[in-house]
Amino acid sequence: MNSSKKLGLLLITPAAIVVVMLFLVPVVLTAVFAFTNMSTSTGISGGAYQISPNALQELRDHYDMPSVAERLSQSGFAVDEPGLAALGKAGIDADIVTELRGHIGETFAARRDAERAIRNLNHRPSLREVKQISDQFNRSIMNARYDSKAALLAAVASVMPNLSGAEHQAIIAASYTGWTWTTGNFRRMASIPGTQRSLVNTMVYVAFTLTLFNIGFAMVLAITTFYMPSRAAGFFRGVWLLPRISPPVIYVLLWKWLAWDTGFLSVFLGRFGIHSRNWMLDSGTNAWVFVVLINGFVGASMGMLIFSSALQAIPRPLLYASEVDGASRWQQIWHIIMPQLRWPILFVTCYQTLSLLTSFDLILLSTNGGPGGSTEVWALATYHTALNNYAGNLEYGYGAAMALVLVVVGVFLSLAYLRLFNYRDLVAKPLIEH
Amino acid sequence: MRILLDGFTKSFGPMTVIDKMTLEIRDGEMLALLGPSGCGKSTTLFAICGIHKISAGRILFGDRDVTNVASQQRNVGVVFQSYALYPHMTVAENIAFPLEVKKLKAAEIKRQVDQMAELVHIEELMKRRPAELSGGQQQRVALARALVRKPDVLLLDEPLANLDSKLRLEMRSEIRRLQLATGITAILVTHDQVEAMSMCDRIAIMNAGEIVQIATPGEMYRNPRTEFVAGFLGNPPIAFLHGVATSGGFASVGGEAIALPASVPLPPPGSKLTLGIRPEHFGPTGNIPIRGRISFIETQGRENLYDVTLPSGSMLRSIQPLRGDVALNEEIEWSIAGDRILVFDEHGTRL
Repeated sequence: MNSSKKLGLLLITPAAIVVVMLFLVPVVLTAVFAFTNMSTSTGISGGAYQISPNALQELRDHYDMPSVAERLSQSGFAVDEPGLAALGKAGIDADIVTELRGHIGETFAARRDAERAIRNLNHRPSLREVKQISDQFNRSIMNARYDSKAALLAAVASVMPNLSGAEHQAIIAASYTGWTWTTGNFRRMASIPGTQRSLVNTMVYVAFTLTLFNIGFAMVLAITTFYMPSRAAGFFRGVWLLPRISPPVIYVLLWKWLAWDTGFLSVFLGRFGIHSRNWMLDSGTNAWVFVVLINGFVGASMGMLIFSSALQAIPRPLLYASEVDGASRWQQIWHIIMPQLRWPILFVTCYQTLSLLTSFDLILLSTNGGPGGSTEVWALATYHTALNNYAGNLEYGYGAAMALVLVVVGVFLSLAYLRLFNYRDLVAKPLIEH
Repeated sequence: MRILLDGFTKSFGPMTVIDKMTLEIRDGEMLALLGPSGCGKSTTLFAICGIHKISAGRILFGDRDVTNVASQQRNVGVVFQSYALYPHMTVAENIAFPLEVKKLKAAEIKRQVDQMAELVHIEELMKRRPAELSGGQQQRVALARALVRKPDVLLLDEPLANLDSKLRLEMRSEIRRLQLATGITAILVTHDQVEAMSMCDRIAIMNAGEIVQIATPGEMYRNPRTEFVAGFLGNPPIAFLHGVATSGGFASVGGEAIALPASVPLPPPGSKLTLGIRPEHFGPTGNIPIRGRISFIETQGRENLYDVTLPSGSMLRSIQPLRGDVALNEEIEWSIAGDRILVFDEHGTRL
C-alpha cells in the first residue's frame, strides 16, 4: 500500500465513524431487536418473575399444563408450622398461636377468608394483629414479583413441592416479565390483517406518488420548461423547487389550512352551498388525494431537475434533425426526447421508490395515517408500533421486525437497481488510456 | 427546385449578422456557401431549413413563399456536421423516420428505405446502430435520411468536416454523385475551398454576413472580385505584395519596383495597391523577372512549393515540377507572368 492510499484511509476515517455510528449500528440493532419481544411492558433491560394471570394463561395454552396453572392460581393462605414459628418471633400473643395450632392444615383461597377466620378466633386478635398473622400465613404466589429464578422456585415449592424439572422451566418461562428472544414477531406479522393493509397502502402510496408526480409531473415540468425561453423556464423551475426547500411542518400546515373545515377549500366551496368539512380527513379517498399531492409536489422537483439537465444534454442537432425530418413537437418528444431520457427515468424511478418506501414524515404530519388507518403506510405503521401510539404500549421488538422488512426490501431493490444500471460497468476501468 | 433568398436579414438580439442578402439557387444546381467561420453561412442554411426564424425578407421554394412555414412543413433534407443520427434507432429506423412521422404505410416505408439504402450503398448496415458505424457510413446514413422524403432542397452543413482526409475525398465524389443522380437542388456549407470548388456548380463566397461573389469555381479562381476572394481560393494560397502605383508600374513597400504590362489597369501614381500573384504564375518562365532568396522548400510529391523571400522581406510563392537544381537559401531570379497578376486597390477591390 502506498502512502497516498494510507492518507485516503486517514481522511475517510471521521466520515466512516459517523457512517458506522449513525447508519450501520442502527441497522444492526434493528435486526437484533426484531428477534425480541421488547415492549414498554418488558422494558429493554432485564425483568423479574411474576405469576400473573397472563403467565397462567400461557402455562395452560402454550405449555399445556392446566393443572399446574390451576394449583398456582389456588395457592392462597395456609396455616402451617413455619407460619406459626414466625408468629412467635413477631411477638404475637402465645395464646393466639396455640389456638391457631389447632387449625393447622387449613387453607383459604383469599385473604378475606383467611382474615375472617383469624378474626373469629376465641382470643379476638386486634385488627393490627389480624394483618400480621395473615401476612405470615400468606402462601399465595399470584402477582408477587421475584427478582430471581431461585426466589420464584422457592415460592412455588411452598405451594407445589413435587414439580418436575420441565414444569419448573415452564413456570420460569411463563412468569418472566423481561424481554426474550423470539421469532414470534414475524409469525405475527404474517398472520394479522394489519400487515396486509399496510402493504397495500404502501403500494398505493409509492405507485401513485411515483407515476403521477415524481416521474409524470416532473417530466411535464421538465419538457414544458425546456421549450420555454430560458428566463421563464428558470422562474418556473424555481417555483417548483419551493415545496422542496420550505420547512416540512410549515408546508404541511399550509395544506391543512387549505383543507380543514374552516379552511380555504371549505370557505370557498361554502359560497356554492357545499357544506364545510375537513376535506383531508373526510374519507379515505380524500386522504389519499392529499397524501399523494403533498408528497408529489415535493418529490416532483428532483425528477424535474434531473430530466431538465438530461434534456439540456441532448445534442441540439438531433432536435433540429427531427424538426426538418417533419416531426411535430409531440412526435419529437415521443420519438427523440423520451428514448434519450430512458436512463434518467429509470434512475429517478429507482431512487424515488427507495425514498418513498421509507419516508413517512409528510404523512405523519398531515393525516397521521388516518382516517382510520387508511393512509397508514408500512413505515408509518412501524413508527406507530415502535415509537408512538395511542395505547401507550410501544412494541419495540415488533416495530423493529417491521423496520427490518423495510431494510431487507430496500437492500434487495438497491441490488436489483445496481444490476439494472450495470454498476460494475459504470465503475469499471476505462479501456481507453487517458 | 429554385430557391430564392430575397432581402434575407437575420439578427440575434441587437446584432445583425446578415443584412438584406439576396441569393438565388437554380433548380438542380449544387451551390457552395463558402467562407471563414462566423461569416453567416450556417445561419443562412438554418434559415433556409427553418430552424432559425428570419428577421426580415422572404424565402421562396419555387414559387412558394415559405418564410413563415415551420421547418416541419418545408420539405428540406439536411445533413448536419455531426450527422445527428438518432442514437437509439437502427440505420433502417433512422432513414425511415421522416416517413414514419408522415404515417406512411409500413410496406411503402420499407420500399423507399430500401431504395435509398441501395442508392447510398449501405444495404448491409441496416440493422446496426449509429454507434456501430464508421464516420463515412454515418455520413451515408445521414444522406439517405435527408434524401428519403424527396426534399425540395438538400442542405449540407460542413458534411465532410468530421472525416479523415481519405474518406473526405471519397465522400466528396459520393455526395456529388448522389446530387447528380437525384437531380436535387443542393446547398453545401463549407469553409474548405477545395470542397467547394470540387463539388459545386457555383460558389457563393461569404464574408462578414455578405456574399462577396457568386461564380463558377473556375471563373472565381481566375477572376476574383476582391482580395478576400483571391486569398480564400487556391491551394497553395496566393501571395500578396503591398505597395503603391508608379507610372507604368508598382513599387512595393520594401522598394521592389515591378514594371507592369500595359494590360494591367493602373490607378494614378501614388495610389495604394496590392498585387496578387498565384504560385503557378511565378517561376522560371514569365516576363517580369524578380530576384529573391529561397527561404523554404515544401515537397508535395509531384511538385515542389518554394517560398521566395524578396530583398525587401516580402514573400512570393512558386509551385513547380520537381527540380534538383535549386537549394534552400539559394539566390534565384524567377519571373512573374505579367498578364496573370491580379491588382487590387486599397479597399481590396479588383481593378
